[in-house]
Amino acid sequence: MVLRPQWPGAPAWLLLPLPGGEATAAELVERAVDAAHLLDGAPVPANLALVAGEWQLGVRALRALVDRLAARGIRLTALWSADPRSRVAAAAVGLQSYSPGPEDLASGREASHREPGSQELCLQRGTLRSGDHLEAEGSVLVLGDVNPGARVSAGGHVLVWGRLRGIAHAGCHGDARARIVALQLRPLQLRIAGAVARGPDDSPAAGMAEQASLVDGTIRLDPAPPIWPLERTPDSPGHSGLEPAGRGFGPNLPRPQAQP
Amino acid sequence: MTAQSSRFILICSGKGGVGKTTLTANLGIALARLGATTAVLDADFGLRNLDLLLGLENRIVYTAQEVLAGSCRLEQALVKHKQEPNLALLPAGNPRMLEWLKPEDMRQIATMVGEQFEYVLIDAPAGIEGGFRNAMAAATEAIVVTTPEVSAVRDADRVIGLLNSEGVKPIQLVLNRVRPKMMASQEMLAVDDVTDILALPLLGLVQEDEQVIVSTNRGEPLTLGDSGSPAARAYTNVARRLRGEAVPLIDPSKERQGLRARIGRLMQTKIF
Repeated sequence: MVLRPQWPGAPAWLLLPLPGGEATAAELVERAVDAAHLLDGAPVPANLALVAGEWQLGVRALRALVDRLAARGIRLTALWSADPRSRVAAAAVGLQSYSPGPEDLASGREASHREPGSQELCLQRGTLRSGDHLEAEGSVLVLGDVNPGARVSAGGHVLVWGRLRGIAHAGCHGDARARIVALQLRPLQLRIAGAVARGPDDSPAAGMAEQASLVDGTIRLDPAPPIWPLERTPDSPGHSGLEPAGRGFGPNLPRPQAQP
Repeated sequence: MTAQSSRFILICSGKGGVGKTTLTANLGIALARLGATTAVLDADFGLRNLDLLLGLENRIVYTAQEVLAGSCRLEQALVKHKQEPNLALLPAGNPRMLEWLKPEDMRQIATMVGEQFEYVLIDAPAGIEGGFRNAMAAATEAIVVTTPEVSAVRDADRVIGLLNSEGVKPIQLVLNRVRPKMMASQEMLAVDDVTDILALPLLGLVQEDEQVIVSTNRGEPLTLGDSGSPAARAYTNVARRLRGEAVPLIDPSKERQGLRARIGRLMQTKIF
């Protein structure tokens, strides 16, 4: 099913049916494009955003799809997928990738308009390698390392059960309460909401999970508190004490410098 | 030889100049000398060098392109090595014909070669674009070559990500152009630094060796002779590990650097 763009220049939306049949995603997309053309005779818009739902699309499948659409003069610009691996693959072939909520599928609303923190956790199993870019609306948990050159951005928190050596952006829609937590925090760059910091030059002591949070507009590192309030953000009722507790670790620890 | 038992091994690195082609040539010779029928497939046909390194440049008549087009038989395109009859080279194409090859073609040609050889080594081009994707299409396992440099490691990491997403495994690592002294004095990334980031099993450590340059220019891979140069031994060990032998891996930067150890090594090389 193809949804026409609501304003000129915006991509048309293409909703893939649930996986299960014999047809591949590329075939379904082509069929839908053909059908849309037959239905109202108007040419299919040049830009297309694919809403893939539960489909698992690898780099190979996505590249084939991009090529087949390009042959028809259609540029695939974005992928909305509920599958984190598909989103990483989409980023690898140069597409914008988003994780959809059901209300977005219905209305085609922009991702940034959504309430941060309301999303569920996105789980990424395995190391993110150089060039990978994982994006999620809610919080992200990476079971593995984030290598140099890889990027994680999340509307909520970024949690890494491993070594964070790439770039992490928490609260990428502006949530200043978002944090970045890793077993080992050795990032190239950290971003929380609008603040940017280089990774620390000297390594913090090993053996403790570390967190980065935004304090008075600058990013600071602390040992992560032993209880992580995943659903409970610091200023939600009954847990307001957590933020000052984190601050209490502070004075002797290295501060990342703000970038010029 | 059935297709099921042959191994299709991609040799890749992302970055150029780290030693993919040198490893392919030397590994091919070493495997052949160990008794395994081996074919080396030069997928880097835009900048084709593998034939030079093997000293077979003047014997190439046909390429995989002609085989697929049906204008010659596979046996005609395969170039048998002069000294090592177990080894054959198949150039994937002509440098002037860059656009013709597709991943399916590569898969087809590799399957054909796999019917005759136990090992099919595919020498991938540098980069991660079309040429690399073609080469990757035919592989069922991979050896990633890297050097102890930040840029090479970063590119290798990217390539490993791509191999993972295409389901190529196992992936093993060869660390090339290691300078033990620089590693020991921490001027170079240590072996642990590299394996820490790439998180792959280490298949071999190859020391920087001037003999490699000499052998490249002569078109005689180091593993062909019994020179006993450090790189030649390392390449042979990679081949033996690939065949499943348990050859211990020694980190050269942790070897004893003292005078006695040095004399000991010197005597070993002179006597044996």
